[in-house]
Amino acid sequence: MDFSFFVMQAISGLTMATLLFLVASGLTLIFGVGNVFNFAHGSFYMIGAYFGYQLVAIWGVNFWLSLILAGVGAGICGMLAESLFLRRIYGRANEGGFQILLTYCFILIIDDLVKLVWGTEYKSLSKPSGFKGATIFGDIFIPSYNLLIIGIGILVVIIAWYILSRTRPGRIARAAAVDREMVGVLGVNVPLTMTMVFGIATALGGMTGALAAPLRTVTPGAGIEVIIDSLIVVVLGGMGNFWGAWLGAILIGEVNAFAVAFLPKWASLFSFLVMVIVLVFKPEGLFAPKQVRKI
Amino acid sequence: MQKKRLLACLIIAMVAFIAIPFGTYAADKTIKIGAMYPMTGRAGLYGKDSVAAAEMAIDEINSSGGAAGYTIDATFTDSKAKPAYAVRVAKRYITEDKVNFLFGVVSSGVGLAVTEISAQYKVIFIGTDHASTRLTVDNFQPYYFRVSNNTFQSMAAGALYLKELAQTKPWKKIAFIGPDYSYGHSQWDEIRYNLDRYGVSYEVVGEYWPKVFAPDYTSYITAIMRDKPDVLVSGFWGGDTVAFIKQAQAYGLFDKMLYFHPDAGGNYELMSAMEADLPEGLVLGARHYNNWPETDVNRKFVKEFKKRTGRFPTYAAEGAYAGIYAIAEAVKAVGNPTDTEALVKALEGMKIKLPEDPEGFTSYIRPETHQITQVMALGVTQPNKDYPPAQTMLGDWKVYKAEDLVPPMEYIEAKRKK
Repeated sequence: MDFSFFVMQAISGLTMATLLFLVASGLTLIFGVGNVFNFAHGSFYMIGAYFGYQLVAIWGVNFWLSLILAGVGAGICGMLAESLFLRRIYGRANEGGFQILLTYCFILIIDDLVKLVWGTEYKSLSKPSGFKGATIFGDIFIPSYNLLIIGIGILVVIIAWYILSRTRPGRIARAAAVDREMVGVLGVNVPLTMTMVFGIATALGGMTGALAAPLRTVTPGAGIEVIIDSLIVVVLGGMGNFWGAWLGAILIGEVNAFAVAFLPKWASLFSFLVMVIVLVFKPEGLFAPKQVRKI
Repeated sequence: MQKKRLLACLIIAMVAFIAIPFGTYAADKTIKIGAMYPMTGRAGLYGKDSVAAAEMAIDEINSSGGAAGYTIDATFTDSKAKPAYAVRVAKRYITEDKVNFLFGVVSSGVGLAVTEISAQYKVIFIGTDHASTRLTVDNFQPYYFRVSNNTFQSMAAGALYLKELAQTKPWKKIAFIGPDYSYGHSQWDEIRYNLDRYGVSYEVVGEYWPKVFAPDYTSYITAIMRDKPDVLVSGFWGGDTVAFIKQAQAYGLFDKMLYFHPDAGGNYELMSAMEADLPEGLVLGARHYNNWPETDVNRKFVKEFKKRTGRFPTYAAEGAYAGIYAIAEAVKAVGNPTDTEALVKALEGMKIKLPEDPEGFTSYIRPETHQITQVMALGVTQPNKDYPPAQTMLGDWKVYKAEDLVPPMEYIEAKRKK
């Protein structure tokens, strides 16, 4: 096999993996800290994509500023959803069932809201100037925008590592993941922490939506398409494990890229196959979440 | 608390009793149509346009006195693009609302489910948008009629285009990419069948089957470029085309091979979504175009639709518009909307002038398949700002005769035997 093709295929996989990770990281963060499975996480991704479209294509706002604003907008929607609705079901018997019902309702409501505001037509965003072409190294040909996405992914990983391990809010979030009640007893405002985590996670999803808009189609229903693959990544990495989501995304992205190259007819089977193998041999995921000590 | 609940129940019951009769009271002489279109998700765009165009046709017919003295009364229900759900709606239409015609459906999966209900209850089903050839060939039943082209017709036109192309710009290697379900697979089978039928020689260098609505195609794009085909036949549908083209553009894929997408690539919504980002020189086709044929009927259809909705129609609109006119014509011929067997006879072989008919041609329904038979054109993307927000439209048309595009009888018989 020719080397340049190998590199190009690996970078294709990495681009897909990065977008997957950026959505899955929020999903796993909410699960890890709040023990909430946010089915509607993909819908916040979609909202971000529409915010990006509104800002860039309609209001003519600078693309980079729009990425941030789309994230902030989606984050505010996320905080509202958490503090007005989700908060009411914490601690109920069968909370899991209520979570799925409620967050599934969000998917339907957000889809319809988007349709009311922006209509059903497909929307598209142009790539920002300077990133329309490709970067060429010898025979290796990589679209500059794909390199940008990979770069942003790495940046997010570094920032997240710093916040989670070196700052007080990060430590509180990690502590809340281990024992929410004990953190509350120690005087931390747990509901506020939950709302903030939800806001940050959905902001990350929303920014990813705007970041992916120049490569994908902005359409109602776009949220559902990203949630399944994100779920595979989250399960693979260990529910609630941030680093697990990163490695899980890279694994799925690369497996998929090389399956497409060598066994195209069976390509979509492989990501599920990886998940099955991992779940059989390591049911808690590649990087098991921290266990809560039961007393 | 108990009392309040009881009161609430009573109020709901009262409202229901008052409201229901209003809905079901129908004037004496009406043609009742039970229509199903998706209103949510990706296919919602096609559903919305179909409903708008069907209503436009109904208004036109009713305001000019109806058909044989009957006015058309259509009910529209969200099919949710789910076969099992649409089957329930169709049954309710037949048993409770007593509709004369079932109508609509965007997804072939839903179409295949509803056609069985139509056969079982002997109620005519007018298909307006779904494209799978199976409905008129393999799973044919006498009460089903389709008023838009199927994938076989698009692929036959595609094969003829590639045959001509070989004379001016020799090509040999083809690759295919399309969604991994019946719509994608039948396009790939049918383009090869038609290339063989018209004696075109070719070599397949790759075939790729991403999931429908997959958001990422970059791994497919780099793999296709490794295969170095001369022609990439694409079978994408809807927004997937937008995502694929955007991702492929930066790799320079369109400079290295001909992007050839004869069934749904030429859909207006692709052009309106991509605005200035759509590359030139792609060869695309669709079931209806806003800028071809340049006849008064088509111009008027596009203009009226724009006036009603504020936007240009997607291809789905013309199918729904045609369906309503086909029903009106059949009722005019028979004199009433209740004699189903006579209506079937009237629809078989019916000639009907539609917006997508060029001068000198009238669409007709082929009796053997109940499939509308139409001229088809394929075009090349080029700058054109007459249909905003699109900035690129198709032009440089190649037009193919209707008779050359239909499946031959031996093909139909072989498929039906299976």
